[in-house]
Amino acid sequence: MLQCTVKFCGGCNPRYDRGDAYRQIREALSGTAQFSLPEAGQHYDVLLILRGCTGCEYLYENIPAAHRLVCTCTGDMDGIIKKVREIASRPINTTKED
Amino acid sequence: MMTKEQYIESLRKLHMNLWMFGKKIENPVDDPVIRPSLNSFAATYELAEDPQYEDLMTATSHISGKKINRFTHMHQSTDDLIKKVKMQRLLGQKTAACFQRCVGMDAMNAVFSSTYEIDEACGTKYHENFVKFLSRVQDEDLAVDGAMTDVKGDRGLAPSKQADPDLFLHVVERTADGVYVTGAKAHQTGFVNSHEVLVMPTIAMREGDEDYAISFAVPTDAEGITLIYGRQSCDTRKLEEYNDIDVGNKVYGGHEVLVIFDRVFVPNDRIFLNGEVQFAGMIVERFAGYHRQSYGGCKVGVGDVLIGATALAVEMAGAAKASHVKDKLIEMTHLNETLYCCGIACSSQGSKTKSGNYLIDLLLANVCKQNVTRFPYDIARLAQDLAGGAMVTLPSEADFRHPELHGYIDKYFRGVDSVPTEDRMRVLRLIENMTMGTAAVGYLPESMHGAGSPQAQRIMISRQSNMAMKKELAKKIARIS
Repeated sequence: MLQCTVKFCGGCNPRYDRGDAYRQIREALSGTAQFSLPEAGQHYDVLLILRGCTGCEYLYENIPAAHRLVCTCTGDMDGIIKKVREIASRPINTTKED
Repeated sequence: MMTKEQYIESLRKLHMNLWMFGKKIENPVDDPVIRPSLNSFAATYELAEDPQYEDLMTATSHISGKKINRFTHMHQSTDDLIKKVKMQRLLGQKTAACFQRCVGMDAMNAVFSSTYEIDEACGTKYHENFVKFLSRVQDEDLAVDGAMTDVKGDRGLAPSKQADPDLFLHVVERTADGVYVTGAKAHQTGFVNSHEVLVMPTIAMREGDEDYAISFAVPTDAEGITLIYGRQSCDTRKLEEYNDIDVGNKVYGGHEVLVIFDRVFVPNDRIFLNGEVQFAGMIVERFAGYHRQSYGGCKVGVGDVLIGATALAVEMAGAAKASHVKDKLIEMTHLNETLYCCGIACSSQGSKTKSGNYLIDLLLANVCKQNVTRFPYDIARLAQDLAGGAMVTLPSEADFRHPELHGYIDKYFRGVDSVPTEDRMRVLRLIENMTMGTAAVGYLPESMHGAGSPQAQRIMISRQSNMAMKKELAKKIARIS
């Protein structure tokens, strides 16, 4: 099970419901990935960044993660789900950082 | 940081001398007229707890290194200035009202940098005093009212030349431990929902005005402070038996009060300016600049709700496909986003002060606010245009709930058949609330006069326009030697 975390942009003018997108992604990956909010000192397999638009291109480098996946619209969700599944299918200790 | 619930409970411990409708208000927290404004203020605490919004709503204190509410933060970069505007838009979207906490944030950032430079020039200890105050505000996540606007009496006379000396707040007695102040601050947004008040002078001052050049902080329930609540259009609808549909925005609102200081004591370590008349203008200019930036965020968020309500109203009336309707919604959006552009622009062009915090570009901030004195009125006009007359001729909710009248109202106020009449009434009342009801106070006259009336911005634009350079540019192109 991949250990994943999520970081939301501030949400000043989101083009989609970021909370709902997070719920859908989490549900779709329920058997593959475990999501939690970032905790200091934790290293994650995947950091999911949910941006409400294409602005504010922060990558949250202070959150250590092997992979950073960015969602800027609902159209990105399927690709993110596919990517997490692909990362999970890699043999242990052979996942390279994206 | 405080949770929303902790914040509300903390207000119950204050004992303000507050008056409204000729009566003393012992429990403002649960007063139905005041509560919506508290709910808006409380949203600044509630959203800071939500991971979806924490990136805008919180920051890292440059003093303690701890996570703090952004409303207590000293901007450490242009990125912080931009995030401030985005946070304000977010809160405007969530409340459709004035959430009141910006004024304290803007006052604190202005006094922080100004006291540093006053100390540098005068050898005073105001910055040390202010940082001590600020540390407590950040650590305890306090709500601070920024109080600048004096009642001003005869606008043609300096503070010390007024017929009544109290028309500008001033020092009436100096002791070894501090000063006593008397006067009044008008239009104080969110005072009743604040723990502390940060007082600043209202205009640039000159020799002879020393007693009026005073800045300090005291608790909002300090002895000698009296508050008189400002009434708003349609405010007593909140007291009616049926007070849901007709109020337009049931949960959120804003408020202003007249704050009277009658010999209020200020201890020395709470004083941030005391007689240095040459620096009164610096505090005023910086506070006004920050607050003019603020309007490029908060009013845009409120505008988002009004545009959305208008789009719903035309859909419910079956008029959404008309070309002029589409065009008017585009115009409303264009005006609203132009304000946002101004807020973002003056933030992105900000610069570091000597004290280390960041100040917005003052010219662009004044251009921002100048547009805010106009565009919300244009947006509101278009909203009323598209909403139609029913917005102001709808029967009351009491009639709608009456068994003999419900059928008539439900039948004759229905638009598109699939949309319940009650939904249409709700959205029309929201537009009424925002353009001429209680929320219009915040969206329209506050846009006109808050952070300074239009002429105040024009004076600043004139000062900062760099006309000499523009003339030189023209001379060079025109080949004038």
